[in-house]
Amino acid sequence: MNHHNRVLFRQLLAREISSRFIGSATGWLWLFVTPLLLLGVYAFVFGVIFRARVPEEFELPFVAWLAVALWPWLAFSESVLRGSQAIVSNAALVGKVAISRELLVLSSATSVFLLQMVGYLLVLLVIQFLATDVYWWALPAAIWVLVLVFALAMGLALLLAAVQVFVRDLEHFLPTFFLLWFFMTPILYAPAMLPEPLDAYLAWNPFTWVVNRIRDILLLGEWIPGRGDLMMLAGCLGVLLLGWWVFRRLSPHFEDFL
Amino acid sequence: MSVPLLKLEGLGKTYPDTARAGRRFRSFLQLLTRGASAGGTRVLSDIDLEVRPGESVAVIGENGAGKSTLLKIVTGVLSPTTGVMESRGTRAALLELGAGFDPEYSGLENLRMNAALLGLSRSEVEASLEEILDFADIGNSIHEPVKHYSSGMVVRLGFAVVAAVRPDLLITDEVLAVGDESFQKKCIRWMEGYLDQGGTLLMVSHNIYQVQKLCRYACWLHEGRIRRSGDVFEVTQAYLAWHERKDARDRSGTSRRGGHGNYRVGSIEIGPSRDGVTSLAMGDELIVDLELESPDDRRPVAAVGIVRADGSPVYGVASDSDRFELERLGEKRFGCRLRFPGLRILPGGYHVRAHAFDPEGLRLQDTVEEEFSISGESRELGLVRLEHRWEAPGEAEIADTGP
Repeated sequence: MNHHNRVLFRQLLAREISSRFIGSATGWLWLFVTPLLLLGVYAFVFGVIFRARVPEEFELPFVAWLAVALWPWLAFSESVLRGSQAIVSNAALVGKVAISRELLVLSSATSVFLLQMVGYLLVLLVIQFLATDVYWWALPAAIWVLVLVFALAMGLALLLAAVQVFVRDLEHFLPTFFLLWFFMTPILYAPAMLPEPLDAYLAWNPFTWVVNRIRDILLLGEWIPGRGDLMMLAGCLGVLLLGWWVFRRLSPHFEDFL
Repeated sequence: MSVPLLKLEGLGKTYPDTARAGRRFRSFLQLLTRGASAGGTRVLSDIDLEVRPGESVAVIGENGAGKSTLLKIVTGVLSPTTGVMESRGTRAALLELGAGFDPEYSGLENLRMNAALLGLSRSEVEASLEEILDFADIGNSIHEPVKHYSSGMVVRLGFAVVAAVRPDLLITDEVLAVGDESFQKKCIRWMEGYLDQGGTLLMVSHNIYQVQKLCRYACWLHEGRIRRSGDVFEVTQAYLAWHERKDARDRSGTSRRGGHGNYRVGSIEIGPSRDGVTSLAMGDELIVDLELESPDDRRPVAAVGIVRADGSPVYGVASDSDRFELERLGEKRFGCRLRFPGLRILPGGYHVRAHAFDPEGLRLQDTVEEEFSISGESRELGLVRLEHRWEAPGEAEIADTGP
């Protein structure tokens, strides 16, 4: 990114973030209230109604176990979904101003990711005070995992944003697909709870690794990286490069199809 | 010669067929695998254009001629299908009022965003903020959301930002037509200053007067091709003449020659002409040679008029009112030569209209037309050049009271 694009990226990012709060009376307060409300809802529904329990070997409160995995997923899925809409929803800008279009995707996806990260931090603090100890000193390892998630999200957002210009059906298909992906990832349940033939497939889901890894790091303090980190790094970089390549190849033709 | 800021060679554009999902998907696969897609509608072909630093070029043409597509390609929003485009330096485009403005945000926030889109850094924006606000001149509305702005205010703000950016090449579409008179004048003044200081301009406009005032070169697009390009006066005059002829054709339909078989215009020749085309400079002499046919061998009356290509009359005169009698050339044939020395009509396309009347000069019997054009550079308005002289106030009195 050259200097001009960096300036523009910061400006677009700031606008994306502030547009979330513009017009609402309490504005920035919602940045903190929303994650707490969401945490409360999950605690009530799964802890009280469904009486969900963490597998016995962990001896952890369910809410902590859920929340540590849920926020990385929310950051990932929301930023991919929002980023994939960026070109189509900014069609007017794309048609009038010559800018590097990837900035539109990256800024909107990044803004969502950052907002969820603020929520994540808040939720971790609440867990620390109300539920169980968080291994704060292992935070760098958690950040490393989140960086991988971020790279994966950016790669997918670029890829899907470019494809969406040509194949509009994607807009209707993606939310459902991500809902399925959510349930196919052991966020609400432990991998061991899946029936026999299905649990083999979990290994193919990159987010299974993310969920397990970040729980190990933050709730059990097991931060030492392994072979999985390397494979995940290779995979995320691969997706990022693919997304970038497809986007670059298609972006000169966006205006023809918008 | 300096290196061009912008160079288009053999440029062409084909819009792909995007109406059906199947075609879109096929184009998508073709673009991904081959980098190009087949089929579509051709809107531009074989465009060659060079813009050098300090030049000002106007793109003119009818609606749908491909002007906006060309500007979009030059701006970088659209990619050409064929040909090459090379460009250097910074470019800024005003393609539409408030392009990139978000209606929810205040004018000030949009101003900052727009400046960033055009390549200004945050500190540069702060440094020229005063100047921008001054130029836009919309007062306290700057803190209001843009959705409450009038279209004139939006274009003021948009232009003010571009004025602060001072790009190497400024590209504008028909945007200034929106602002009010005084703002338009301000923009024109700014553009003149910008051009004087070595700025380069590429503009689309239907306002030929503005084009002649601001640009030195023009490029006439017709049905996706360059029909004529070069000096602004030559090109705009050819363009206007073409338009006027088209208008006149649309209005008069096909009834051109209404000869009733009585007194007819046998032949008309106007000159001086070269290769059948009559093109004069202002102040030249126009010569009209007429031959009229008279079935009963009585002497008919001839009338000659000059009309603009759109049909508006400039001057007309008849032989009987000047008490001139046509020369008898032979049996049933009469002729005359009419001279207009020092013709002072302004550059443009014109017709000579010759009429044959009966010997009493009462009934119009026949009309024929012949085209000619007056070339030259002029920013005067109207049809003819009137004698005039500019003087300092009071000069005449000084002369009168001299020794």
